[in-house]
Amino acid sequence: MIVRSLAQILILLSTVGLLSAQEPEIVIRPPITGVTRLAVADFQSKAAATAETDSALKVFNDVLWKDLDFSAFFEMKSKSFYPNKPIRVPLDVTFEDWQSSVVNADFLLFGNVQLAGGGAVVEAYLYDVKTKQQVLGKRFTAASTTLIRNVAHNFADEVVFQLSAGTSRGVARTQIAFSSQKGGGKEIQIVDYDGANPRTVTANGGLNKFPEWSPDNSRLAFVTRLPDSSRWEIWVQEVSGGRSVLSTPSSYASSPAISPNGQRIAFSSRSQEATDSDIYVANVGGGGTRNLTNHQGIDTSPCWSPTGQQIAFISDRSGGPQVWVLDADGSNVRRLVLEGGHCDSPEWSPDGRLIAYSWQAPTQWKHDVYVVEVATGKIFQLTVGGASNESPHWSPDGRHIVFQSTRSGSKQIFIMNADGKNVRQITAYGINESPAWSGYSKREQ
Amino acid sequence: MKRVFTALMVLAVFSVLMVLSGCKKTPPPRPTPPAPTTSTPAPAPTGGPAPTVEIQASPSTVERGGQATLSWKTQNATSVIIDGGVGNVSETGSVVITPRDSATFTATAKGAGGEARASTRVTVVSPKEAGVVTSSDIDNILKAIADGRIKDVFFAYDKSELSPESRSTLEQNAKWLRQYPGATVVIEGHCDERGTEEYNLALGDRRAQGTREYLVQLGVTAEQMETISLGEERPFTPGQDEAAYSQNRRAHFTVKR
Repeated sequence: MIVRSLAQILILLSTVGLLSAQEPEIVIRPPITGVTRLAVADFQSKAAATAETDSALKVFNDVLWKDLDFSAFFEMKSKSFYPNKPIRVPLDVTFEDWQSSVVNADFLLFGNVQLAGGGAVVEAYLYDVKTKQQVLGKRFTAASTTLIRNVAHNFADEVVFQLSAGTSRGVARTQIAFSSQKGGGKEIQIVDYDGANPRTVTANGGLNKFPEWSPDNSRLAFVTRLPDSSRWEIWVQEVSGGRSVLSTPSSYASSPAISPNGQRIAFSSRSQEATDSDIYVANVGGGGTRNLTNHQGIDTSPCWSPTGQQIAFISDRSGGPQVWVLDADGSNVRRLVLEGGHCDSPEWSPDGRLIAYSWQAPTQWKHDVYVVEVATGKIFQLTVGGASNESPHWSPDGRHIVFQSTRSGSKQIFIMNADGKNVRQITAYGINESPAWSGYSKREQ
Repeated sequence: MKRVFTALMVLAVFSVLMVLSGCKKTPPPRPTPPAPTTSTPAPAPTGGPAPTVEIQASPSTVERGGQATLSWKTQNATSVIIDGGVGNVSETGSVVITPRDSATFTATAKGAGGEARASTRVTVVSPKEAGVVTSSDIDNILKAIADGRIKDVFFAYDKSELSPESRSTLEQNAKWLRQYPGATVVIEGHCDERGTEEYNLALGDRRAQGTREYLVQLGVTAEQMETISLGEERPFTPGQDEAAYSQNRRAHFTVKR
């Protein structure tokens, strides 16, 4: 018993040691080979400034800056170093000013906004400062000024796609779904990746938990217990519209996950008379239900690999809950994380290389977000501090992670770079948990 | 004078009898004594007619918890006893019974002429889903839960095994639940907040299912018990120390209307 805890302490210490030794290298791929210095000049009103244009521009410029900064592709110097002259169109630009030793930008973003008929037209430019060549020139139309955030998100993603040479489509247009306390229950909500624009998906007064997106973003799968019901149900719901209820073998059902090809769904459940849960798969439309693990011990929290060939899950069959993996037909069951303690919520990275999960050390009360390299079993710690950090989920470009943390005093949703840096809080009120990051919407695929 | 008259009368009667018997030519053969009958059900009668008894149950098949009427009739009986807990009864009568299990009721009638027995069987079947439970039954059960006669059982951290104390509590709970086989009982499984949400939903389920399984072994009807895990969603107390946590790691009983 003592030897075992000593071993665990040593493993924990060596993990921390590993972290500091390998910090620059971990997780963000491809590695940043050089730094792209980006200047983002404030967009201006095309015509004379009014109170309306001022407020629209304030929002637009703020969102654009935060999107580009969060992408973790660019070095962005503070605007206080920028040349003073406002820029609306390419003719306004004195490129030499932007090559000065202070700003030294590689690329320059600028543009203008015109309000017309309740909506807005945005002209946006991306220029190579040294060659003075246009890289992007776009016109966006927003039907109403309230949609000006979306224009900023759109352009930010285009800039990221362009300047990352196609490595990432950007995450500015993505969504995050999560479970939010409401009255005595919990409802599924969606927000923009930055926390803006909240929408309700459920309003049934029950407990709605553990949302996961379908690969084309059109649907969410989650588990629901209607008020006073003695049954949990798996719902597959169109983001705007109808739903279906998946048939499950008993009153316990949890953690649904739709496969990468959108056709199968994995979940935790058990047969009527069993005491221990297993990982099941079924067709998303119903039927074809199979018990994949059929083993003593709790099996829960399944997640698919990006190819759909494997499923990672949590099992306590060897003692406490650990990360295990199996092939999608139920064969080749193997344990991945050998640290002891309490693991949960495994999520496979989009490039298949890593699995993020939460881990609670044996003698601690709090959890932290970790990633394990699937091929080698090497483990990296992403969150630190006194709060409890759980339920990680990857962004669709694999460069960021959303998770749940108590660091602000209550359970809230946070986003960060996949190396643990640049943490941002995106919900602030009530209790918000188990986030899931959307993929790219149908339109963009 | 009188003595002579009486003697003469006796003589006259005697003569008449002699004449009458003498009229036949041949005297009739003496009858053979009657043979003993093998059909006599009772032991050698000491005197008087044999008692008879009939008994029937209506209905003869009841749902568990339901009632049946036993009726009987006897003749020539001075005492009538019915077994199966009924006891001494009048010669003719009826009684309402609520049998827990199928049983045969035998009425034994005793009298001067002997003893007779008759039997009838009552078959007890499980109640249907629609239930034989009344609204006041539900109130009784809810009251028993509220005042602790039906108690929660508690669990160690991260565990779902039943301790000896839990088993003892469930034995008491089973006594209650067996009285109301028509009631739908819901066993809730709960956890304290320290684990993760997904694991705790599964752990709460394992606690509830394990509790149900033990109650089935104690004779509670499996079909009347449902389980639902509430994970860490509904703590009994919001405190964040072990005293509070230990109260939250529980299986809790409630009943559906």
